Amino acid sequence: MPGMKIDSGDTAWVLMSAALVMLMTPALGFFYGGLVRRKNVLSTIMHSFFILCLISVQWVLWGYSLAFGPDKAHIIGGLDWVGLNHVGLTPNADYAPTIPHQAYMLFQMMFAVITPALISGAFAERQRFKAFVLFSLLWATFVYDPIAHWVWGAGGWLHNLGTLDFAGGTVVHISSGVSALVAALVLGRRIGFGQGKFEPHNATMTVLGACLLWFGWFGFNAGSAVTSGTLATSAFVVTNTATAMAALTWMTVSWWHKRQPSVLGAAAGAVAGLVAITPASGFVNVMGAIVIGFGAGVVCYAAIQLRERIRVDDALDVWAVHGIGGTWGALATGLFATVAINTAGANGLFYGNPKQALIQLVAIGASWGWSIIGTFAILKLVNLIVPLRVGEDEEALGLDLSQHGEPAYADVSAF
Amino acid sequence: MDPTTIMAIACSVLVFTGWLVLPHAPKTVKPAVVVSEERQPVAISA
Repeated sequence: MPGMKIDSGDTAWVLMSAALVMLMTPALGFFYGGLVRRKNVLSTIMHSFFILCLISVQWVLWGYSLAFGPDKAHIIGGLDWVGLNHVGLTPNADYAPTIPHQAYMLFQMMFAVITPALISGAFAERQRFKAFVLFSLLWATFVYDPIAHWVWGAGGWLHNLGTLDFAGGTVVHISSGVSALVAALVLGRRIGFGQGKFEPHNATMTVLGACLLWFGWFGFNAGSAVTSGTLATSAFVVTNTATAMAALTWMTVSWWHKRQPSVLGAAAGAVAGLVAITPASGFVNVMGAIVIGFGAGVVCYAAIQLRERIRVDDALDVWAVHGIGGTWGALATGLFATVAINTAGANGLFYGNPKQALIQLVAIGASWGWSIIGTFAILKLVNLIVPLRVGEDEEALGLDLSQHGEPAYADVSAF
Repeated sequence: MDPTTIMAIACSVLVFTGWLVLPHAPKTVKPAVVVSEERQPVAISA
């Protein structure tokens, strides 16, 4: 196409960003793996590793086509790009005019990979692996791909409406966080839930996972500029700022509430900040990032207290951190966005455009609604084919041995 | 000064000054427990 020339700097940055985002999925495995009991750590890490493999294949076969292919009725992409047909090395003007189309496809693949992996924290320690396999494939196809098309696909209805979602507050975090809540409710509580605290078996693993997530998230957000210039730099700066502010805020709130400065709380706060700044990272300035990080620390911590009070066993608090953090971030984008950062965006409420906040609310509502309906239907369908939960004896034994026949540690007798 | 900057400063002040009134030490300190699966030292002969 005339006027489109591949830029080597942009291409290098997007490929590097894809690698950074790829690292986030095993990092998530370690983040989650440290939080479960030692009899379930290997199965928890396997959820992330397996999804990396599964979606890598699903995405090139039909996922990318459904999410980004030629628009059908503003709802879904067509099947024209199945098997990467027409997705070659020349740029695509709609998505990234300065890099090979396959580089953009690869970058988006890593987003599609991590999103269902996020949900796995909700049903940790009790979901049957075979049910997990079926659920992940169906969820990626019928929940993630349509929402990605609505928001990011050329012709998608939320895209046309003017929704601002730079790196996936609605597409990645609301979809996974809300689906996690549905999954936790459908699967029910773990044996022993409420009778005592399930202590994380390795807090250091969780903190290391959080640090690697933070590192990879620079690719997630700054890479979403799809160029290597000023917008990527701004996204990088606000990502780091909001993350740090959220970690400080969460730690302070938990210190005040529980009388202890929790290390795991600081790590969870950092992840909440990363989630919240994700949709806003290409549209807000650094002052907006501080407010977003502060808000993430407060609302996500409060969401965990609510989740505990209503006794929902979302094992690793995916809903509170990703569902509520993503909702806050998407709304905050409509409050703090400014065209001084990104002329392709829009001003938010505090810059004289209250309409943007309403548009963001529509996108939030649509993402919540489709995630609830789609996830519930898929779980019920899978349950007809294979039971979602393991048996009580298998749960007591632990999923590492009952589902995979392998212990994570040499001596698994003491847990 | 725009509203976003004012809010950012207020949030930062709230967090930073909040530390002044927080407890100096945790309410309870759990005793260190040696986990049973800890490896036992082994004698190595040259």
